[in-house]
Amino acid sequence: MRDVAVIGAGMIPFGRRDEDTLMDMLSFASLKAMDDAGLGDKSVDAVYVGNMGAGMLQRQSAIASSLADRLNLLPAAADTVENGPASGGSAVKNGLLAVASGYYDYVLVVGGEKMREVTGWRATDFVATMTHPQAEYPYGITLPGMAGMFTRLYMEKYGVTREHLLAVSLKNQEMGALNPFAHVEMALDRDGIFDSPHAIVNNPVSADPLHLYDLCPVSDGAAAIVICPLDMAKKLSKPPVLIAGFGQATDTHTLQERDDPTDLKAVTLATQQAFERAKLKPSDISVAELHDAFTILEIAESEHVGFFKKGEGGKAAAAGKTRFGGQIPINVSGGLKARGHPVGATGVAQIVDITFQLRHELPKNRQVKNAQTGLTVNFGGFGNNVLAFVLKRVEQ
Amino acid sequence: MKKEIAITAFKCKKCGRIHYPYHDRCLGCKHREFDKIKPEGNAKLLTYTVIFNLPWGFDQRFLVIGVAEFENHVKAMGQIKADSVDQLKVGMTVIPSWEPVRVQYGEDVYGLKFEPVE
Repeated sequence: MRDVAVIGAGMIPFGRRDEDTLMDMLSFASLKAMDDAGLGDKSVDAVYVGNMGAGMLQRQSAIASSLADRLNLLPAAADTVENGPASGGSAVKNGLLAVASGYYDYVLVVGGEKMREVTGWRATDFVATMTHPQAEYPYGITLPGMAGMFTRLYMEKYGVTREHLLAVSLKNQEMGALNPFAHVEMALDRDGIFDSPHAIVNNPVSADPLHLYDLCPVSDGAAAIVICPLDMAKKLSKPPVLIAGFGQATDTHTLQERDDPTDLKAVTLATQQAFERAKLKPSDISVAELHDAFTILEIAESEHVGFFKKGEGGKAAAAGKTRFGGQIPINVSGGLKARGHPVGATGVAQIVDITFQLRHELPKNRQVKNAQTGLTVNFGGFGNNVLAFVLKRVEQ
Repeated sequence: MKKEIAITAFKCKKCGRIHYPYHDRCLGCKHREFDKIKPEGNAKLLTYTVIFNLPWGFDQRFLVIGVAEFENHVKAMGQIKADSVDQLKVGMTVIPSWEPVRVQYGEDVYGLKFEPVE
């Protein structure tokens, strides 16, 4: 197997993008990544498109073929990869394996979703289609609802408090306010969403015990990377970012069938695989992008990937250990919480963010000093399909 | 008339693990043969939430949903007959019933409902 590196990365600002079609967004992000890689008029051998809902939301299928045509990547191989909110991560994995195997040299991976085209009602229903069609979906359960039930269990077992959740929310919104690609570029005021009598209006219960600002927004957006063998990448001008390891694991569809529903086994297994392949350990990581679709997930994942012991993640967040400048900066981009969560784009956007970090290209207020390694976790379903990537800066 | 709870769970013939919903291979030992069992008795509430941002198809202000474990260890999700989570507590007993849980294409869809016991 060949070593594979990211040589180009690009994304468009996430948010409500009424003026753009899904294909516009995929195309804009792809061109940014291709230009960043310095491909010029050259094409790629293959393109993988991560997307969850074009068939349901846009009534459009076979979007990878459309993108190859739109960008004139013809006759490149083109595939759409659907894996719920982990579609982006799965698309990256497919590209990685294709290059590592020696089958293709240059591959474009792009993830995108246009969720604001439909009403909130419809978007919530669309995301809920990943729940079990007989045992869960008919009851009206939503992903925030799943997260609410998970939070209650986590609070009971590990003593996580609303203060801990609040620390994640405030941190990620603060960082999102500094990120021009973020959907919600707005720092939050603790008083306004927690302490004051107005907090119940500003930050109402959404899926008890989770409140509005414990949830990521519903976003439009796209992100893309170009990858190639490390040997070829070393000849380029920008420092290549090695995909040093990846892992993927699945778990039961329904939470109730897990021996311990608070144990996110797929996160642990996927991350262990990624660390083993990279020959690194959690304490070696400079910066991480974890899948904080809900504040509780950042806390739980920070434990399951090995940054903190079980039950310590909430306290670590409240103590500032996961802040920019802290022991292990998590979601310096603002995370899903503030950057947004266009479901098919997220797994790719996480890799784009870490690539910028490892190339030391970000402004001082977001650049983790001397960042050498990064971790991403892309969480599908409610933890039933998880991908993790370990990335490493390569000096030329 | 009270309707029978139309859920079938599956007990592995080899290791005894109980499954709901159905799997073709046991989650514990990968065995492929199961005895069909029905949920029995009342249930114990394992977790719950109240959702205020409802999906398409629900024309109401909020939904209270939870997961409960029956006396014979079948675990299942259902809607909870409560106006507020203040009435609920993990570990409390709930009485199951089979009632309409939503309307689709003008028809009632039946499912589990749990009524908390004081």
